Amino acid sequence: MNRRDLIRLGSVTLTSAVVASACGAQANVESSSNIAAAGTVVPNDKVADLPVDDVVLLRTAASLEASVAALYNAILGTDGLLSGDYAPAAALLRRFRDDHLEHADAVNGLVRAGGGKPWTKPNPRIDDRYFVPALAAVTADGNPDAALDAVTLALAAETLAGQTYQGVIGSLKAASLRAAAIGVGQDEARHAVVLTQLLNPGYAGVAPSTDESGRPTVASVPSTFGALSSVQVRLGDPGDAGAKQAFIFETPSLNALIYTSMT
Amino acid sequence: MPTTLPSGAPAKPTEADAGLLAFAQSAELAVHDLYSTAVDVTGFSDEQRALLRFFGANHLAYAQAIGGAIGKAATNRRDEGIYSAYRADMFTPVRAMVVLQDLENTLARTHTDLVGRLEAVAGAELAASIAMVEARHAATLALLRGDGGVDGALANPAASLAPGGAPSPEADTTETTVAP
Repeated sequence: MNRRDLIRLGSVTLTSAVVASACGAQANVESSSNIAAAGTVVPNDKVADLPVDDVVLLRTAASLEASVAALYNAILGTDGLLSGDYAPAAALLRRFRDDHLEHADAVNGLVRAGGGKPWTKPNPRIDDRYFVPALAAVTADGNPDAALDAVTLALAAETLAGQTYQGVIGSLKAASLRAAAIGVGQDEARHAVVLTQLLNPGYAGVAPSTDESGRPTVASVPSTFGALSSVQVRLGDPGDAGAKQAFIFETPSLNALIYTSMT
Repeated sequence: MPTTLPSGAPAKPTEADAGLLAFAQSAELAVHDLYSTAVDVTGFSDEQRALLRFFGANHLAYAQAIGGAIGKAATNRRDEGIYSAYRADMFTPVRAMVVLQDLENTLARTHTDLVGRLEAVAGAELAASIAMVEARHAATLALLRGDGGVDGALANPAASLAPGGAPSPEADTTETTVAP
């Protein structure tokens, strides 16, 4: 390092010190954890540390059962929605709705046994984010595939429910609850097979495949192992562009759990 | 859902887990071999044979996954008791489909039983992912057989095959189950 380099380095160091001192605490200025900003900054409140235990997971499962049952009631209560080739779906959805209500009762029994308070209402976030807007797309005026879409939405709901039970296996602390959960999950998987066979009947509907236009078809056995991926479905009036609205359903996560503090 | 491990649960299969999973692997291999036998039965259509190959391949994948989970504890051999008990049923398409549906229900019930007994989470998650699809196999076979309708697709009257396994929750039925 020669003399010129030393002088240059010295000036840089001095400049840095001046800038740093300008950024430090100043007299008569109230200190704040917020970064510098114009106007009033809302304090950064810490999110409450809510425990996620077996009771919370079970209450969430019960809420999802109630949401699916409510969805089926809404489909069944929409005049003329399940018609034509899909008229037989009405009897299936009535039966599946009763199954989901039975599941909710059974799961709430486990909640009670675990010292928790049962949850008998639908899951507000699942309803608001997924089922209500999806059903609105299905029943919107001008949807030429309303009946098909209603059954497709029911299939998505069953798939979501099944994945929810499979997904909690790694989180439930009590092994007996894991067995109970996957037992209910298989009921949802069987529901899904019945609806799939209504949409894509026969041997052609067993394995994953594509239709004449290259689009994937629904399959009774869509994968070798039970999947935990998001459930994607396209519903509603395709419009002039020929594209239905895409919906992506995710199993309940931290913002959709029914915590013990919720009533 | 959150994916945190339950506190205190081992991550890898314990010795007791390995015993249960080794049995499950041998049962999967036996059912895989029964599907392979069924494929050669005269009278199946091409699409039926495709289904038999598809489901059979799934069972082989389950055996391989279980083998990977338990390593040296895996026998990598089929359960001869299961295979020999049902080998003779693979002689007509109708009979084979009935028995394979029963076997799917039985394996689904067996894995459900294991999910509640395995100590390690990884083993329980694997058994759960298998049970979910075997339930689909059983429901699909029930619907395609056309005997029993939706009731047949939704019900699973089978008992667990696992050593010391749980009895059938519908023990008053007369559904055939598999003896090890």
